[in-house]
Amino acid sequence: MRIIIADDFLTQLIHGIISWQFLQFIVAFLSFFGFVLTSAVILILAERKIMGWMQDRVGPVHTGPWGLLQTVADVGKLLMKEDIHASKTDKSLFWLAPSVFLAPVIAAFAVLPFSPYVGIPGTALATGIVYYVAMSSIDVVGIVMAGWSSNNKYSLIGGLRSAAQMISYELPLVLSLVGIVMLTSVLANTGIGTISIRDIQTFQSSSLYPGKGIGFFDFIFQGFTPWAWFFLVQPLMLVIYYTCGLAETNRAPFDLPEAESELVAGYLTEYSGMRWALFFLGEYGNMTIVSAIASYLFLGGFSGPGVAYLTGLGSLGWGFLGNILGIIYFVLKVYLLCFVFIWVRSTLPRLRADQLMQFAWLILIPTTLLNILVTGMIYLIVNGLGLPTLVFQIVLGVVNWIGFFVFVRIVARATVATTRRAQAPAIRAQRQPFAAVGQIAERATTVAQK
Amino acid sequence: MVANSNRGPAPDVSEAPEGIRSQEMLLNMGPQHPSTHGVLRLVLTLEGETVVDCTPVIGYLHRGIEKILENRPIMGGIRYMDNADYLSPMLNETAYAGAVEQLMGIEPPRRAQYIRLLTNELQRIASHLVAIGTYGLDLGAFTPVLWCFRDREGILSLFEALGGSRFNVNYMRVGGVLHDFPKNWLKECETFLDQLEKNMAELEILLTGNEIFEARTQGVGYIDPQQAIAYGITGPMLRASGVNWDLRVNRPYMAYREVKVNPQVRQEGDCFARYKVRMQEIWESIRLCRVAIDQMPGGPIGTRTPIALRPPRGETYFAIESSKGELGVYFISDGSEYPWRAKLRGPSFVNLQILPELLRGHKMSDTVAILGSIDIVLGEVDR
Repeated sequence: MRIIIADDFLTQLIHGIISWQFLQFIVAFLSFFGFVLTSAVILILAERKIMGWMQDRVGPVHTGPWGLLQTVADVGKLLMKEDIHASKTDKSLFWLAPSVFLAPVIAAFAVLPFSPYVGIPGTALATGIVYYVAMSSIDVVGIVMAGWSSNNKYSLIGGLRSAAQMISYELPLVLSLVGIVMLTSVLANTGIGTISIRDIQTFQSSSLYPGKGIGFFDFIFQGFTPWAWFFLVQPLMLVIYYTCGLAETNRAPFDLPEAESELVAGYLTEYSGMRWALFFLGEYGNMTIVSAIASYLFLGGFSGPGVAYLTGLGSLGWGFLGNILGIIYFVLKVYLLCFVFIWVRSTLPRLRADQLMQFAWLILIPTTLLNILVTGMIYLIVNGLGLPTLVFQIVLGVVNWIGFFVFVRIVARATVATTRRAQAPAIRAQRQPFAAVGQIAERATTVAQK
Repeated sequence: MVANSNRGPAPDVSEAPEGIRSQEMLLNMGPQHPSTHGVLRLVLTLEGETVVDCTPVIGYLHRGIEKILENRPIMGGIRYMDNADYLSPMLNETAYAGAVEQLMGIEPPRRAQYIRLLTNELQRIASHLVAIGTYGLDLGAFTPVLWCFRDREGILSLFEALGGSRFNVNYMRVGGVLHDFPKNWLKECETFLDQLEKNMAELEILLTGNEIFEARTQGVGYIDPQQAIAYGITGPMLRASGVNWDLRVNRPYMAYREVKVNPQVRQEGDCFARYKVRMQEIWESIRLCRVAIDQMPGGPIGTRTPIALRPPRGETYFAIESSKGELGVYFISDGSEYPWRAKLRGPSFVNLQILPELLRGHKMSDTVAILGSIDIVLGEVDR
């Protein structure tokens, strides 16, 4: 009996491996891996160049023309470095941590369609958003492993900080996406929304442009309707999602786990060579995936002039061209958002750990919850009045834009106020009753006159 | 555990849940650490992220400058003064030269005094620029430090044209200064000051108005005026605590007897006030530089002194307002070519004393915020 089961299992396994789907999977995996690697290499160079430009310096210039080969040289150097680990580290965890950090990043790319045709087979993953969120929360395990196993106090503090930070920011990140899902459920005639990223993207091509006009307008606007992109309806959620993305990827101003000025390099302190590079790769891969998801949910993904028209022609050649165009638009949007990451990094100082937590729990989570409530209530009111969904979208958009400006105005003061309140005991403890400032100053001046 | 008499009361761990034992952690911050401004070592006792205790350990940059001074002819000592507070060599040299002049009863000519004022104020700007830039870096802002060093570069270039060296200028002499200005130097200086004003306005936008920067610095590291005086704190730190004390005003020396200085005072006493005082002092120094350029008198740049300086037997103390605070030189001469004793009163060293008092109860991230706001230079602390 057991033999039969085993036999069955083996044949199934062999059939599974020697199959069209498995080949597709391998190709898809390799291309995603390649995309993460290339993207990281390009982003690192772009970051150094852009920050150099913002900081009145030139950035790398010596390796290759205009310094373009700098990251390639860096990768070469890192690959050739000796794999060092300090004594008394927890070896297995220490060696495993970079992989645990990097693997979910690559896996998260599985939900992304790059263009109308290019995506993982069956692209399935109808569970898009949930899958992405699940993958992005596994990252923290790698960081905690690295922090714990390094046998270094700085690493330990960095790892624990990152655990607290990533778990806290996971919540508003998910909650900010709920508004989008609610929006799709209203837009769908069936009343059932979607969490598939591909479907959310199709909801952003408006029915306001039916595509029966002149050829030129058809070419541009078929499937490309920027007035229906969700960032117009939910701008506040885009900002909150993006802020949480900054925290999720440990980028400035939320880079506490690797805060250079306090923790040397945080959980990365004991790492060198290729293992260090894997963490770095993961960070930039994370940056890419956060930007990619934002571009899909809020900025229409790969849609752009010509994509839907060309792929809709049914011809193989034109379809291919349309796909190339789609990939170009998508990558442009992703890198535009990544540019904002870099811009933020070169502008803002770092928050303190307790301020970071307060920002998540006292500001972001209530705001996102309120957004869900408001979205639902506006739908109930508009629907109760018997008005079309377009009115719902417009009203929701107006409310959200107002919320956006109020949020931006309030958040600064709220941050300062909450931190002051938190610090008040420490200040009060240090402040002793004292009323002789003037006297001392007077005495100082009289001494001077003598 | 390093013994420390300032140790505070033990933290209350009775609130910890049943079965969970919490333990203080001893963290060795430095001497190799990105934000201890050189080679300061802080032995921190942490309870979670809260600092329970801190012991600064100094001496990693001790080079025996005071001893070297005793073994050099008096004129040769000026070069070694550059290395004490290596971010403001001009000010150190002025203090040393001033002490010797006071002992010998020499009054440098007016032009030399104004040149000293001009170079001193430029040096003060340079030192404050480093302080502000690295403070931004301590708080995680990457851009200000590069902008500040770009502006400081202009000052170093001016010094290079003036004294032949960028960093260890070796420009002051007993009784005057080494060279007169090169051709067009004053004009270049004015052009630089114009540019600096624009750059400083940009920096104010980037850093001063930033909410995160405010949240990180306001209310952190409060020093009340009494405490500040009790600890002997001087300079921007003292003025940030609301005590109006500036040696340039209260005990004017050299050209400061003629040029009026507006001391920059703030009442808050926290890290933000200390940052802000430095920022305002840069603006004030720019104004003073312009005054010095406008009023630059003619005449000789130094008095004639013998090659082998032999000050009369006696002792003296001469203090100037350095970029960090009161920089004093205590000088004893036995009538020979060599000083019998030269003691420096380094403001960084004195200001650093209050650190353990300030850190207690703050978060670990505030450690660097408070340390950066003290603006120490280890070359002067350890000497």
